[in-house]
Amino acid sequence: MPIIEVEHLTKEYRLGALQSLKQTMLNAGARLIGRAAPERPLFKALDDVSFTIEQGEVVGIIGHNGAGKSTLLKMLARISTPTRGSVKVNGRIAPLIEVGAGFVPDFTGRENVYLNGAILGMSKREIDRKFDEIVDFAEMAEFIDTPVKRYSSGMQVKLAFSVATSVESEILIVDEVLAVGDLAFQRKCFDRMENLIKRQGRTVLIVSHNIRQIERMCNRVLLLDHGTIKVDGNAKLVCNVFFEQSDVTIIAQQDKGKASNALTTGEADLLDLNFTDPTGQTIDTIEYNAPANIRFKIRAHREIRNPIFFIGFHTTDFIYLTASITPGSLRKKTLSEGTHEFSMRIDNFPLLPGAYATRLSIDVEEPIKNIFYADNLCHFRVTSSNLQRSSPECQGGFFSLEAHWSHQHLLQEPVDARHLQSPLPLPQT
Amino acid sequence: MNGLKELCTYRELIAVLAWKNIAVRYKQAYLGIAWAVLKPVTLMLIFTLVKSFVGIDSGDIPYPILTFAALMPWTFFQESASEGVNSVVGNTALIKKIYFPREIFPLTSVVTKLVELGINFLILAGLMAWYGMMPSVQFLWVPVIIAYTVLASLAVAFAGAAINVYYRDVGQALPVLLSLLMYASPVIYPLQLVKDKLLIQQAAGDWSGLLYTLYTLNPLAGIIDAFQSVVLRGQAPDVGAMVPGAMLVAVLLPLSYLYFKRAESYFADVI
Repeated sequence: MPIIEVEHLTKEYRLGALQSLKQTMLNAGARLIGRAAPERPLFKALDDVSFTIEQGEVVGIIGHNGAGKSTLLKMLARISTPTRGSVKVNGRIAPLIEVGAGFVPDFTGRENVYLNGAILGMSKREIDRKFDEIVDFAEMAEFIDTPVKRYSSGMQVKLAFSVATSVESEILIVDEVLAVGDLAFQRKCFDRMENLIKRQGRTVLIVSHNIRQIERMCNRVLLLDHGTIKVDGNAKLVCNVFFEQSDVTIIAQQDKGKASNALTTGEADLLDLNFTDPTGQTIDTIEYNAPANIRFKIRAHREIRNPIFFIGFHTTDFIYLTASITPGSLRKKTLSEGTHEFSMRIDNFPLLPGAYATRLSIDVEEPIKNIFYADNLCHFRVTSSNLQRSSPECQGGFFSLEAHWSHQHLLQEPVDARHLQSPLPLPQT
Repeated sequence: MNGLKELCTYRELIAVLAWKNIAVRYKQAYLGIAWAVLKPVTLMLIFTLVKSFVGIDSGDIPYPILTFAALMPWTFFQESASEGVNSVVGNTALIKKIYFPREIFPLTSVVTKLVELGINFLILAGLMAWYGMMPSVQFLWVPVIIAYTVLASLAVAFAGAAINVYYRDVGQALPVLLSLLMYASPVIYPLQLVKDKLLIQQAAGDWSGLLYTLYTLNPLAGIIDAFQSVVLRGQAPDVGAMVPGAMLVAVLLPLSYLYFKRAESYFADVI
């Protein structure tokens, strides 16, 4: 039997503000005497959504802002009621929706643990039993009798996360909560979530914009778009569809070559930066492993001596991938006042299919300083006729790794082999 | 019935939330929970002062304790009704984040006020000792009267809380309406005065009986008089004065609750 059954779920919201009492009365009166009252327009946050989730599945829900992710979670958690359709949940749900909603600033950490625990449906005895573990996990033993209003925001979230994940429930709903605390604590949260999922076999629903995280944790993903389920299936597959979609929108949104966020000392400005094809035409799609050209124009507002140029590429979520610096032969130049054009040729473009952006920086040597820096420039896509973004080669990262493999069958097993064995069984995906 | 069973499983949550309400209010106050008695005691002193100018016949009971015994159920009703009405809107963060039966919020307000009422009993005991009064066996009526007061305030709180989600006017208007209601309830004056005027002297002629029924339609008229009777006079409650109000509550409470249950599924969307 599925643990969650959603059938033809539709949720409509009325747009615009709540009407005044007078207007409501007038409308009610109009309806009473059989005339049509003016209705505020409806907005469908969810439109005829159906799916089932089995016990033990870890399901990610992704989609753009306003796609209906949070609305769906609210329906599942019974916070809001469907306009049409039905939601059947066979088990206790623990919502981790923005943990810490019930914290009272004037209460001590200890009091808040009991209060929040009760709100999440734990009995006093249950909290008593788990109290030490909750405090230990949150690393709060020292401050547990201090009012929460004196905590840093990170401390509050740590405590709240710790309480919320202690609830014993069949279904756990997680809405963007893993981005809490410092890196070390995030790692701990992540491990705890994985533990809940993989060892205790709980059913988990995760909403996040961190697609890489979703891809790693879930075995099934629903992609929502404007209130409908666009794709439902294997995590890798759905995440790739989503990446492709985002790439297209990100590129469409960009003002190409414009350095809107440039940092400059006023000595130089970027006029134009583009990829060009062999005939000199501007392009925004580049073939993987094929030659590529970048051309940019600089206006020098005064004489610039010995400039060093630096062009790099980064992902749309700002992971810096690689860069090239002007070689020595080009450095000993002096740019006179006026406009200059540079170009750079890459023989085999190394980035795997996906969406990327460019950054440019200009330094001068004496005295050493940066006179211009801009990133998020000239968004472009890399495509390949023989590589799909979902193919295994592209899953490994951003570059292809040229390597030569060999194999040999050893007759005697090396003594160290056991050190190489993984201590944990690999997660099944 | 189903609702009652669900409430049973959530009784611990009601207790914790009520404890939260009380603890939050008095956490950083030096006098702490002693503030709970401030309102009835102050009003008692003011009314006693006013009484010395205008002269209200309080029978053979000293006026200060008579009015304090009226203020106890009155303050309890007034505060649990108005806090109940604001309880849903006041817990927006919880309503939008997590599910439990929404009637927990008005109920919690009432439970919170019950605790404060309990503290007022200490003051009442002190006053009774001061005036040398002994509680009689009629005192056993007190839990029944308080339970009835709880129902009366819930009748206001459920519907009020639900409407307040849509129109915040209710939360603004209720304190004004309730302070008017205080003058229509035997708080400053004893019910006996109204009885004398309408039932014995027939001050309004043929309309006197009807007017008296209208007056006692206010559940607080019966409640306050009954409370004074059982605590101070050692008499059984005057059932005649309670019937019209009780009938009103018996009709309004289910309607109010049903309206609340019907509206609650939209709270998270509208609030």
